[in-house]
Amino acid sequence: MTVATRPGADADRAPGRLAALLASPGARLVGKRLLMAVPILLGVSVLTFWVLNLIPGNAAQQLLGPEATPEQVRTLEQQLGLDQPGYVRYLGWLGSAVTGDLGTSLVSGQPVTSQIGERLAVSGELVGLAFVVSLGLAIPVALLAAYKPGRMFDRVSMLVSITGLSVANYVLALLLVLLFAVELALFPAIGFVPLSESVAGNLHSMALPVAAIAFPLFCFYTRFLRGDLVDQLQGEDYVTTARAKGIGPGQVLLRHAFRNSSFGLITVVGLNLGTLIGGTVIVEQIFALPGIGQLMLQAINTRDFVVVQACVLVFAIVAVLANLLADLLYAVLDPRIRYGSR
Amino acid sequence: MRRLRLRYSAALVAALIGVAACGGGGGGAPAPDAAAAGPPQRGGELTVLEDVAFAGGWPTGLDPATSTTGGANVSQMSAIYGGLFRLAADDDGSNARVEPNQAESYELLDDGRTVQLKIRPGIAFSDGTPMDAEAVAFNFTRAVNSTCTCNPRWPLAENGITVVDPQTIRLTFTRPFAAVINSFPVSNTNWIVSPTALQQQGEEQFKITPVGAGPFTVVSNQLSSELVLERNPTYFKEGLPYLDKLTFQSIGGDQPAYQALLAGQAQAYEGLSTTPLLEAAQQQGRMTVTVQPPTSPYVIQLNTKDGPFVDPRAREAIYAATDFEAIAQGLFRGLYPVSQTFTGPGGLFHQEKVEGYQGHDVERAKQLVAELGGLTVNLGTLRAYVAQQVMTALQTQWQEAGITVTTETYELSTLVQQFNSNQWQAMLQTAGAWDPASGVGVAFRFSSTSPFSGVADPALDQMLNDAAATVDQAERARLYTEAGKYISDNAYAPFGLAFAAANLATEGVHGPGLTTKIPPIVVNAGILWDEVWRAAPQ
Repeated sequence: MTVATRPGADADRAPGRLAALLASPGARLVGKRLLMAVPILLGVSVLTFWVLNLIPGNAAQQLLGPEATPEQVRTLEQQLGLDQPGYVRYLGWLGSAVTGDLGTSLVSGQPVTSQIGERLAVSGELVGLAFVVSLGLAIPVALLAAYKPGRMFDRVSMLVSITGLSVANYVLALLLVLLFAVELALFPAIGFVPLSESVAGNLHSMALPVAAIAFPLFCFYTRFLRGDLVDQLQGEDYVTTARAKGIGPGQVLLRHAFRNSSFGLITVVGLNLGTLIGGTVIVEQIFALPGIGQLMLQAINTRDFVVVQACVLVFAIVAVLANLLADLLYAVLDPRIRYGSR
Repeated sequence: MRRLRLRYSAALVAALIGVAACGGGGGGAPAPDAAAAGPPQRGGELTVLEDVAFAGGWPTGLDPATSTTGGANVSQMSAIYGGLFRLAADDDGSNARVEPNQAESYELLDDGRTVQLKIRPGIAFSDGTPMDAEAVAFNFTRAVNSTCTCNPRWPLAENGITVVDPQTIRLTFTRPFAAVINSFPVSNTNWIVSPTALQQQGEEQFKITPVGAGPFTVVSNQLSSELVLERNPTYFKEGLPYLDKLTFQSIGGDQPAYQALLAGQAQAYEGLSTTPLLEAAQQQGRMTVTVQPPTSPYVIQLNTKDGPFVDPRAREAIYAATDFEAIAQGLFRGLYPVSQTFTGPGGLFHQEKVEGYQGHDVERAKQLVAELGGLTVNLGTLRAYVAQQVMTALQTQWQEAGITVTTETYELSTLVQQFNSNQWQAMLQTAGAWDPASGVGVAFRFSSTSPFSGVADPALDQMLNDAAATVDQAERARLYTEAGKYISDNAYAPFGLAFAAANLATEGVHGPGLTTKIPPIVVNAGILWDEVWRAAPQ
């Protein structure tokens, strides 16, 4: 049987599909969260601006150095617009920011958007790889530890996790350099090879910084997931029911307990993802990586408020998007969750 | 709790240093001898690490007319621009002298009221345009008119910059300024940019990719992160520079820098100040550790304009309660000599002892404190390893003499605020420079007109001004000796450790100022990058 279709029927249906897509619970969730993000980002920017104004000194003083006379400082403040009332400066900045122009660095005179763009790629790769590595290792280790809690593997993983959680990441970074760069000469101690130059070289240069960030995350996720899995396995009715149905312990762990435990893990990962990109400062300093953390630290030291403000805004956007992603993942994992459905 | 955390942190740092010191083995072999290095070799690349908190920060770019961190970025600037003058010394740091570099010669005329510079003929900027008197005059005029605090502090007469002929330029001052030549290596005016390149690129771009006539040209520049330079094939000194490529890499402090050198990712580090790491590097024996002859001693500035130190007895009590020798030996194992005045052993006009200097006498300090009915002092300093160590030791010593002491560690901006508002009592700072009249010289800490001085004494001002103006070096020495004694007699500020940072270089790397001694112009030694070379791997 042939079904005749009117020419142009697909085109006619397209607006209908788009409307259906926009009306879908997922799209409504995204739209709602993005709308909610507006006051959050505004609040963050106001708070950042206010806090930065409380820090003693300004870019003019920092730029001119200790030898500057008060007149020189005043003149430069006028040139940089720092003599204007705070709200005028903020509104001026906001007006440009909404058009995607994050302003010009008070110190270097370079456009902030391009400065952040270059460096965000480095920090983004650092954090992204750290999450992939930490989760890629934490999930199997936690599953194995929870499979037979209290056994040797569980104890060893707990010991490693507690050790990892007890060591500050700058100490870990220095120890990693000492072992893998100085003693074994396996990885470089400093420097960054862009992906565009060499993929292998890039991964080689990122190995130790990624390890310095990933190891504490791995330890935390392992402990978190293992604990939740054991709770699920020992105390939940659905596990007892599954076992009563004759489902094997491996299947119970993987298909039932892990699925439920992953909600908590996603929440934690989402929260970490939003904050970690701003927490790479020390690691970037130690490994001389030209990332956004390094840029922000330098900007704070020089009181380059425009750059700091832009960096914080970027961190806030990442945090909002990370949490949105986590919410969407809930819906993927559990079909019963239908955001926005009545 | 805070003390416990401090102790924990100290133990951790000590453990890391210990582990790092053991890293790579090597035992206690002596550092390579610069003299036995053999003839210099051409070629090779060098990566130099610079602490992001000082020389590794160039946030305002590398245009000498607008860079406010030129004093910290002497290395980057000299590598790109070379310099009209440079500070050189014998390998052991002795016989330090400012010598013409791109300038061929100079003449001080009219008792120091005029200086005439002759530019070496045939020098070209790396863009091919000539570096002549016109170009130098353009740079001087631009620097003088710049709103940057890096502009020169010349007492310049009206129309005081004159081009005499294509190679000669004359500066005319309103008063004698004999220290002008010695001031060049610490001043941004030492670095001459190509006027043509500046015009073509515009100021904003030029600060990123500057063009000079120095030994290297800029390949890429990520501000305060990485500066990549390559050999300038048209450099005016035949056969120089030795290196093909020179990279300055910013890094987050002494510890990661030391480890990066051990790992072979860089070959030099400028400005190591963490003493335990310095000792570890010396013991480890795999690199050359060059501690420069210090020029700028620490001084405890006392605010004599307000607060407890208006009373001379309070100032004398501080002198008597302070034992810098004990600090030098106890904390730094005698690595840094103690000075009694504003010059260090590596600087001009250094005098080891000041006649009648009030030394450590805790009983006298106690007596003076009793006479005063007690003494409470707030002591501050900038956030830096050596300064913080010294401040803690001073607090202990002063408390032993019955003085109540609180301490503060400042960032630069808050320190400046303290000085500007006159809300300070005692500050541990460094004073002086290689030539006390140049750069952040002695007047910065002791002149009535400086906002960073605790002293307002016209007699001392006169002595320091006369010393800066006098052409006769023997007379200058006499005036500085007199000023040192005057400061001591009036108990204006006790002097202490003459500290200078060290340079590290891996095996096979050699060069003046890097593996030989050159006194720091202000903080870091001026490494002569065109003469730095690397031995080819065996």
